[in-house]
This record gives sequence, C-alpha cells and structure tokens, in this order.
Amino acid sequence: MAARRTRSPARSKATREFVSEVEEILERLRADLADLADQRAGGELEPELANRLFRSAHSLKGLAGMFGFEGMSGLAHHLEDILDGLRMGRLAASAPALDLLEPAVELVASLLERAGSAKAQAGAAEEVARLVERIEAALHAGPAAARVAAPEIDERLLRALTEYEEHRLRESLRRGRWIHLVEASFEILSFEEGLADLTGAAREIGEVISTLPAPGEVPEAQIRFSLLVASDADAQALSTLLDHPTASIRCVHRGASDAPSERLEHSTHAAESAQRGAAERSASARAAGPQPDASESDPEDASVSPALDEPAREPSGELDSLKSISETVRVDIRKLDELMNLVGELVIQRGAIAAIAAQLLAEPASARFGRELGKLHKTLDRKLQELQAGVLEVRMVPLRQVFEKLSRVVRRLRRDSGKDVRLEIRGGDTELDKLIVEELADPLMHVVRNAFDHALEPPAERIAAGKPAEGTIRLEALQRGNHVVIQVADDGRGIDVDAVRSRAVACGLVAPDALLTRKETLDLIFQPGLSTSSEVTETSGRGVGMDVVRENVTALGGLVYLDSTRGAGTTISLTLPITLAIIQALTVGVADQRFAIPLTAVLETLLVGPEAIQRSEGREFLNLRGDALALRRLHAEFGLPAPAADARQAVVVVGLGDARAGLLVDRLEGQQDAVIKPILGPVRSVPGIAGATELGDRGTVLVLDVAALIEDAARRREAA
Amino acid sequence: MHHILIVEDSPTMRSLVVSALEELGAPVRITEAASGFEALRELPREAYDLIVTDINMPDINGLELVSFVKSNAAYRAIPLLIISTEGSERDRLKGLELGADAYLVKPFEPEVLRRTARDLLAKAQEE
Amino acid sequence: MSTHAGGAERARQLASAGWQDLARSAARREADAAEAEAQRELLVLWLDGDPYALPVERVREIVRIRAITPVPRVPEAVRGVISLRGEIVQVIDLRRRLRLPPPDAGAGARRARIIVLNSDDGQLTGLLVDRVSEVLRIAEGGLRPPAARESDTVAALAAYGERFVSLFDVERLLDLDG
Repeated sequence: MAARRTRSPARSKATREFVSEVEEILERLRADLADLADQRAGGELEPELANRLFRSAHSLKGLAGMFGFEGMSGLAHHLEDILDGLRMGRLAASAPALDLLEPAVELVASLLERAGSAKAQAGAAEEVARLVERIEAALHAGPAAARVAAPEIDERLLRALTEYEEHRLRESLRRGRWIHLVEASFEILSFEEGLADLTGAAREIGEVISTLPAPGEVPEAQIRFSLLVASDADAQALSTLLDHPTASIRCVHRGASDAPSERLEHSTHAAESAQRGAAERSASARAAGPQPDASESDPEDASVSPALDEPAREPSGELDSLKSISETVRVDIRKLDELMNLVGELVIQRGAIAAIAAQLLAEPASARFGRELGKLHKTLDRKLQELQAGVLEVRMVPLRQVFEKLSRVVRRLRRDSGKDVRLEIRGGDTELDKLIVEELADPLMHVVRNAFDHALEPPAERIAAGKPAEGTIRLEALQRGNHVVIQVADDGRGIDVDAVRSRAVACGLVAPDALLTRKETLDLIFQPGLSTSSEVTETSGRGVGMDVVRENVTALGGLVYLDSTRGAGTTISLTLPITLAIIQALTVGVADQRFAIPLTAVLETLLVGPEAIQRSEGREFLNLRGDALALRRLHAEFGLPAPAADARQAVVVVGLGDARAGLLVDRLEGQQDAVIKPILGPVRSVPGIAGATELGDRGTVLVLDVAALIEDAARRREAA
Repeated sequence: MHHILIVEDSPTMRSLVVSALEELGAPVRITEAASGFEALRELPREAYDLIVTDINMPDINGLELVSFVKSNAAYRAIPLLIISTEGSERDRLKGLELGADAYLVKPFEPEVLRRTARDLLAKAQEE
Repeated sequence: MSTHAGGAERARQLASAGWQDLARSAARREADAAEAEAQRELLVLWLDGDPYALPVERVREIVRIRAITPVPRVPEAVRGVISLRGEIVQVIDLRRRLRLPPPDAGAGARRARIIVLNSDDGQLTGLLVDRVSEVLRIAEGGLRPPAARESDTVAALAAYGERFVSLFDVERLLDLDG
C-alpha cells in the first residue's frame, strides 16, 4: 500500500464526503449527457432531462463554492447557464453550446482529481478560463429564441411555482393543453406510495408540472397534495383514468382541442394500467365523468353520459405519444439479481414438484393425483420459462454504453498524446447481461489503452511503413449462438513473436528448447510478469498486464485470445457467455464428489473404455470422428482418487467459441437447472471452478469453469 | 433545548450545516431530512423551533415546502430559513413571499449561519 | 449571467477557512468523546485448549458445524465451502491455519462452531473453531502488544481472568498466502 500522507483527520472527513458527492454528481451528469446526446440525435427532448441536468450543475456549483473551489464552482456556474437556457427553452436542441457540456464535465472531473493540491488547481486555471470563454461566446452567438406571448395565468397558481415550473406551465398553455388541478388526500405515514401511484397515473396522459402539499382535513394524520397537471385530455377523461377514491379534479384552464372522451377503448386500457399499481382502490370516482364500467357500454347511449353525444372521432396520435415519456425504467442491477435469484429458486422448486409428481404417478393409489400434478407442473414450467426469459431480457443491455465510454477514453488519449487515432465501432446493438457489461468496462479499457500506447506507432514510423498516418482501432461485437465475441483490432506494429519467446525464456516461463507453436507463443502474453514493453507510460496508468484482463474475462466465464501479424496489427478477441444467471447444468461424478458443468458449454457426452484414449507427447487424446480431442482427467485436475485402470469413463465434450476439450469423469449423473453463485471468502479464485450451486437435496455442488479447463487442455502438458 | 429540522438533499451540505449548528452556543437537537417528503413526515413528530431548507431538491422542492409550512396553522409560527445556491433570484424572492423568514445564499460562513439561526430563534421566543 | 467580483472571491476564500476551523474543532471533540468511552467487545473462541478472540463487529453470525463441500486446489487451511442461506462461503479451519494438531474425536466435537465473518466489500468467510464461549468487554487501553512469536496473526493480548486471550488481526488471519 502507498504511504499515507498525514493530514488533519477533520479535513479528511469533510473533504471525503465532498469528493464522494461530487463524483456522484459527475456520474449522474455523464449518464444524463449520454441520454441527451441520444435525444438530440432523435430530435425530441425530454423536459425532465434538461431540468435534471440543470439541478445537478446547480448542486455542484453550491457544493464547490462551500469548499472554496473557485475554478470548479465557476465552471459549474457556466454549465448551469447552458442548462438553464436549455430547460427554459432559450436554447434549441441543436444549439452548439450544448456540445461544450461534455468537455466542461470532464474538466470538472479533472479539477476534482487535483483537489488535494492548490498548485495543481491553479495550473488548470488557464484551461478553465479558455473553456469559459468558449461557453460565453456560444451562448451569445445563437439567435434569440422566438418569444411567444404568454397567455394569462391565474396569479394564485403561480404563487408556489419555481421559475422552471412556470416555464413548463407556459409551454403547456402554448401547446393548447388543458390544465387541471388534481387533489387527493393521503395518510401521513404512507403518502409516498399513494402519491407515487397518482403521479405515475397522471404522467401517463400528461405532464405533472408541480406537486404542492397542503394540510389535510386532519392535519396530524393526513396530508393533501395538489398536482398541477397539463394534458390533452379533459377533466372527464382524466378522472376515468386516475380512478382514485378521494381525488378531485378541477379544470383551471380549458385546452384548445376538445379531447374526445369517446376514446374510451384507449382509456380503459390506460385505466387498467393505472390500477395495476394501486394497493386498494374503490371503483367509485367522485368526478362527474362516466363510471369505468360504463365504458364498455355503447358510447352513444345518451342516458348514461350526455357529454358523449358527439360522434366518435379517429384517435389522434398525440395521446399515444404522451405515453412515450415514461416508457423506460431505470432498474438497480441489485434488484435484477434478486429477481433472478427468486426465479432460480422457483425453478428449483418446480424441479422438486416434478419429482413428486413422478413418485405419485408410480403408485397406483395416487396415480390420478400424479397425473393432475404432472399437468399442473407442465403449465408451471411453461410460465416459469416465460418469466425467466422475461427477466433475462430485462438484464440485457446493449454494449453501446461501454463502447461510448471507450470512445471518450480514446478521445482523451488522443488529446493528451497527440497520436492520430481513429476508433471504429461496430455492433453496439449487441446485447449482454448487464452485469457482464459492467464488469467488461475495465478489461476492455485496458486492452484499448494498451493498443493505443504500445501497438500503434507514431505517425512518422507508420508512414515509413507505408501505412496511413492515422492509426485505426476497431471495436466490434458480434453474437455467435450463446456467446458474444468482442474484438479489439489495431493496425499497429503487431507483436514480435520472437521477442515474446526470448522474454519468456529469460523470465523462466519456458524452457529454452521448448517447442511452441506461434499461437502458443502469443498466448504467453497472458502470463503475469511478461511484457514486451518496459515502459509504463502515464497514459496507461499502472501498466496493467494482459494477465489481469484474462483473469477478469475468465471470471465472467469467457475466453480471451490474441492474434497478431508483425507490421500489420494485433487483434484481441473476447468470447463471453450471454448471461450468467440461471443455467442448465450437467452433473457429473468424479470419485466421491460431484461437479456441475454448464450445459451451454457441453457439446456431447460419450462413454469410453481406456483403450480409446491415445497418448502423444505427454498429452491424451480421443479420436472423435477423425479429429483429435484434447482430454483432461478431472480426478487428476482436482487431486481426487483415480478410478480403476480398466473402468469405463464418461467424456464430456465441451466447447466455447472454436475451442474444444474432453473432460474425463467417472459418472454422468443428471441434468438440472442451477443458479451459479460466487464462492465468498479469502481465496479469490479457484482454478477450474467458476462458482457453486445448491442442487436441492444433493447439497452444494461446485460448478466447473469450462473456459479455464479448455485453455488448460490446449496449453498444458500433463505431468508424466 | 432547540429542535432544528434541516431539509437538504446533498449529504455533504447537510453535514456542514449540522456541524455548524451544533456549535450554536445553546443546546440543540438536530433532525435531518434528505428530501421534502421526509420533511413532511418529520414535521408532525416533534415541536420544531427552526426549519432550515434548501430550494433545489427533487420531488417536493423548497418552495413547495415553505408554502406547506406557512399555510398550515400548526407550523406557521416556526421560523423558516432558506439556504439556496446563487442564481434564481426569483425563486428566492418567492420563498420570502410565501412566508420564509430569512434566506442565505451559498457559499456562506458557518458563523453567518449561526448568527442568523440565533436571531430567528430569539425573535420567535419573544413572540 | 453574473461574474465573480474580486471582493466576493476573497470573502469566499475566507468562507472555506471558517469551515475548515469548524471541521477541525468538531473532529477534535469527536476524538475526545470517543477516547473517553472507548470499549471493545471481543468474541472469545477456543482452539486446542487456548482462548483467542475476534472483534465482535466483524462477526456476522455463528453456526453449528454442517456438511462442508471440499474444494480442490485451495490452500490447506481451507476445508471447503458451506451454504449459508443461499450464499456459498469458504470455511477456514483455524487449527490448520495456526498449524495446531487436529482435534481429538469425542464429545467435544459437538461444540465445534463456524464463525461467519463479514467485511466491507461484502465478502464472507467462515472460521471453524473448537468452541465459542462468550463476549468479553474491555477498555481500549486494556490491550497490549502480542508476544513476539505469535505476532503473525495476533494483533494484541487482552486480560482474561488470570490469562491473556489473543486477539486476532482479521486481515492477517485471512491472508492465506502468509
């Protein structure tokens, strides 16, 4: 561990909190800016996003100011100006000033890193001043947004609205929307949930401009909320949709369009979705609109609802488009893990039910129950599979987010080093389990940084070699069956295979007279302690080696390979399973222990006698339909007693990507669903073991790390 | 013993305000609320002598909280201090119009916060 | 848009000095208060007839001994893993860890326990011990440095009746490379 500087403990705590909170704000800003970039491209800006961005910059400014960080506070102030312009409608989505947001955020991050040293802060002052100048210029440059005459608004409404909320109100009026005041009372102890439901329902067909609390009828126990809602729907439609027992709706401004309340088909559907969130709601709505069950009846029945005697109109697209405001939901990855665990446990219980059904079926006395239980089990199985697929889908995220992060890294490297490098990205839509994507960010960053620093030559050298001065790093992702392959390819120097070999010999990793294929030599790069460049440049940080990258990828159940041509470039391929969560596993027995092998990696299984196993150069092989399959004896692998010399054994043929191996085990036991759990404890990784799972009454079973075993089979020579 | 309610969503800011007010010079008990919603839940639980609130908060912002407090017979008399970040003069003025008793603009010195708090508490006791 | 005037800047620099002073005095008060009441709680466990201790804050729970699934290719001190309400946790045999002889089979074996330790990063570890006896409360000042030969895994000694109990340094204890 690095030596600790002594500093007064008091300063540390407050400063630590400050740093931690600023980092959080920066992360929020980055995520929201990424969303902003997407929305700018699409043309439609979500108003809440602009406000959120503004509030983050505003908080940052206040916080930095309190701690005396002039530069940071000033920069945040300018960020705030741009974002205020955006949220108040003064800046259009296309305004060039918005392009300065990202660099400003990164400059703040850089200032934060230098927070410990006043001198370093002062050093950045010029950079800050330059960026501030550019921002001020950009804000003055654009044409002033057209000022639309503000319609009259009742003073009482405006009293408790912030400037921003006023702006949203005017916007809505300008668009000819209806403005309603929705009031509802809640118990003080539980208002948050009820309010969230009501607000959510209101958001489905409109915008909630403001939420105002007021004392309830029984002030100590109740609290009343007034939501100011802008919508294209009139009061009647709104009340149908909200369906809250004590909500009252008052229209405070009529909209320009007569929202057809005949759109009851849509309304019923929306009403159902609004009801889904409710804990308990009575069907009676106090509002004057039509009752929910009346929506089924003929809309032209004058006796039910006199307001509906207008002929049904073609629903305009507007009502549907309003729903798109809240279509995506942010989910905490921990919740997804919990869900996944629950589904996993349900799946295991389902297996137990199947077993009982089979037992009942076997006895004539209970056969009838066995059959019925069996039928129910089939339905349960189907539904569970759907549920599983659904949860897995939610976990899947496109790689684009990681790729974008990498773009930013490359841009910064480019700026700092002056090397001319282009980053090509393909396959950003390829999806992976969210957990894997998050864990991939680091190893991918190392690989890209390595490529940038070591693989790509300076322009002069490139031109001399007949290459374009600009280097290219290609980042590509493709899906191959149950796996995703991510490739990082550069057109740089390539790896000198001879240099690697001699370095390996010098380090004692390889005997001087060892026979290695080109592929095996390249693979040595993944050994810890080997590096063909002795520079540890500032840009590459700690000079992290490829051994760490391989460790990280293997921990995810994946493989890393490297290929390179001297003078032309290097390609690093990562093969990853699509998801980590629930897997089907094949249980096998070795000596008196059991192991589980993920079924996705199993290609086939066979029984063999000892005569089928061939030896060559200290390794064992099986002739599998003409191909030589490298074998690994699991009992030798794990130090377990060997079976009798003449015993028949089972070979489990496993494969990942293009790699293959055969695992020799004593018994094949069965196949079932399993949730792989990590093994907690001080030993961080056990070679060959990916985790463990509980198999009902069979207890805890270790899950094999197929990737590691395959690589071992390909590389290692067995001890004679 | 003065009971003070602090409403502020930034944990660091909250920390600073709490530590400043702990050295008020008189015994204090401070309750922290990280959002307007939490403040709404805390208010009925104790008799507070002073409320300190930020404006820039998600869900219920400071102005809405001020409006609630000042329009509620039970809480109307509690002195209310707004701490807000520089900028948005109009929001601050609105806060005063809605009945806030004072405001401070960040960044401010701990002593300024303490002085203002003492003044507000003293005035309330006189009435 | 407003700009920062010179006078306001100086005032702001003063502002942070004011907060710094405040923070310093607050921390001093906290430290004084902490020292005045510092007491520690230690869980006492037994190995081969000798008492040892663990800081109670690190102990998540204590469970009876149960089926341990062996894991290949791990350091000898790791007996294997157990399942703890769905989580798979490694179990370190403390006798092996401290190079003590294996226990005698017999009635005493029923008192064996697995102490589950937690850590900041969510890691859990189980420690297999002969038995667990009590929680000891001592003043911070009542700890003294360990005897030289024990200092590998022991952080301090605490008075325990007429003997001393060896308080483990948990990080060093769990460092199986040492």
